[in-house]
Amino acid sequence: MSVVRAELFKLVEQSRVRVLVIVCLLGPLLVAFVLDRQSGLPKDTLFGRHVHESGYALPLVILGFAGTWGFPLLTSLVAGDIFSSEDGHGTWPALLSRSRTRAQVFTGKVLASALVAAGLLAVTAMTSLLAGLVLSGSTPLVGLSGTELAPGRAAVLVAASWATALAPLLGFTALACLLSVVSRSSVIGVAGPVVLGLVMQLLALLGGLGDAANVLLTTPFGSWHGLVREHPFYGPLGQGVLVSVVWGAICLAVARWVLLHRDIT
Amino acid sequence: MSGVVGRGLSKLYGAVQALDEVDLDVPPGTVHGLLGPNGAGKSTLLRMMLGLVRPDQGTLEVGGVVAGFVEVPGAYPYLTGRQNLEFLARLDDAPGDVSTVLEQVDLAPRADTKVSGWSLGMRQRLAIAGALLRAPDILLLDEPANGLDVLAARALRELVAGLATEGLTVILSSHDLAEVDALCEDATVLVSGRVAWTGSIGALRARPGRHRMSTSDDARAFRLAPSALDVQMADGALLLHGDTAGVDAYVLALGREQIAVRSLRPASLALEDAFLELTR
Repeated sequence: MSVVRAELFKLVEQSRVRVLVIVCLLGPLLVAFVLDRQSGLPKDTLFGRHVHESGYALPLVILGFAGTWGFPLLTSLVAGDIFSSEDGHGTWPALLSRSRTRAQVFTGKVLASALVAAGLLAVTAMTSLLAGLVLSGSTPLVGLSGTELAPGRAAVLVAASWATALAPLLGFTALACLLSVVSRSSVIGVAGPVVLGLVMQLLALLGGLGDAANVLLTTPFGSWHGLVREHPFYGPLGQGVLVSVVWGAICLAVARWVLLHRDIT
Repeated sequence: MSGVVGRGLSKLYGAVQALDEVDLDVPPGTVHGLLGPNGAGKSTLLRMMLGLVRPDQGTLEVGGVVAGFVEVPGAYPYLTGRQNLEFLARLDDAPGDVSTVLEQVDLAPRADTKVSGWSLGMRQRLAIAGALLRAPDILLLDEPANGLDVLAARALRELVAGLATEGLTVILSSHDLAEVDALCEDATVLVSGRVAWTGSIGALRARPGRHRMSTSDDARAFRLAPSALDVQMADGALLLHGDTAGVDAYVLALGREQIAVRSLRPASLALEDAFLELTR
């Protein structure tokens, strides 16, 4: 745990992470402000046409938007150079000559980046809900099956929907860690998950993949669609969690093996 | 044991043989110089001692806690000097005191400023502080005086000498031969990944069969030089190159000619000359 605490200390001292915290805190409020001032609505997004009718629509609009590229970007900025920055700053000799093993350092870094990423997800979820309620109040939400969901149930479903993003978010965090370890380049570590996320979105949009689209790491970001209905279905959610766990496990296993066996030159 | 013993250490990077059957003996409590031209394998050897690089062949026994830095004095630029050390201290079971090591390397006045604005010399000192914080038995320093001004370099030499007297084993890789000469008792010279020479600095300078002699009349002594000896006049003395029997005969001959031999001692090379002889 000492490595996790130390890495958390280092992460929160980085201006990049501080900017992310500010964006996650103020971004949804800014979106609400802009929507309040303009007459048009983001009708091409799920729940976009309802943002002025129910305060529970805006957090779902933001969730859909974040799932497209926001979450991959968030994890990239948190975890994309958590290993490669040690190469860049020449700090491996100091870091690996402490009392902790390479395996402990690896685990600590992964956990620290996962904690920060999950924390930022939680912050964004809360400020999105707050922004929605400030914009349109706590009124019933029209679900994807066309029926009205009472404010209490809508609030629970919004929270649950945001929670479904946790698994793929952590999968992307593992992917960012892998790229950071393997490439030893902060540029590749940070840009890689975003680019791969966009490629996966593109492949899914183009179609033709059939069931193979379900194993893309971006697909689970849409698994919340099954929840916001009169009669929810949980198949995509379970599948999304499984896909995210498999992606995360493979990425972390490869990254750990590489870090433990590489020469630090 | 808190020294370092390496046997048959080899390391290949692609087609480049970084180390080739290197043996190394660093007794505990000594300051050992690691010399060699660029690409000789010094940094690879230091990285092996820090556990950053695994040898392809050979064994390396490092007795005790080892800390130090290789090539670049690494630091997190977005943290202050003190925060850098506090971060490292969190990863140690029994870390030293951050303020104490900052004082040791004379960084206390700037400790609370971000490292991004620091000079190379200050980063060198911070890296040394980070190593000292680990309370090591063996301290590895790679070009520690890089970027240091004359005063700071002298302070560093005093610090290293002081640490050695406290029983710390120091391995100093440096291109600054004056620094090595001032600090190290022993040295290993690497050339193209192989040990070209290892032993005491005194023995490195000394060359068998070379003597330096001064007499009451050097000019006449030079004219009386026997053909069996190579005798040259240089720097107000005679430099003799030949076997001991030849030198003895020459001294006796000078005595017969009423020329007094005022001093006769084995000639030693400047460390730089000795180094160049080995590495050319």
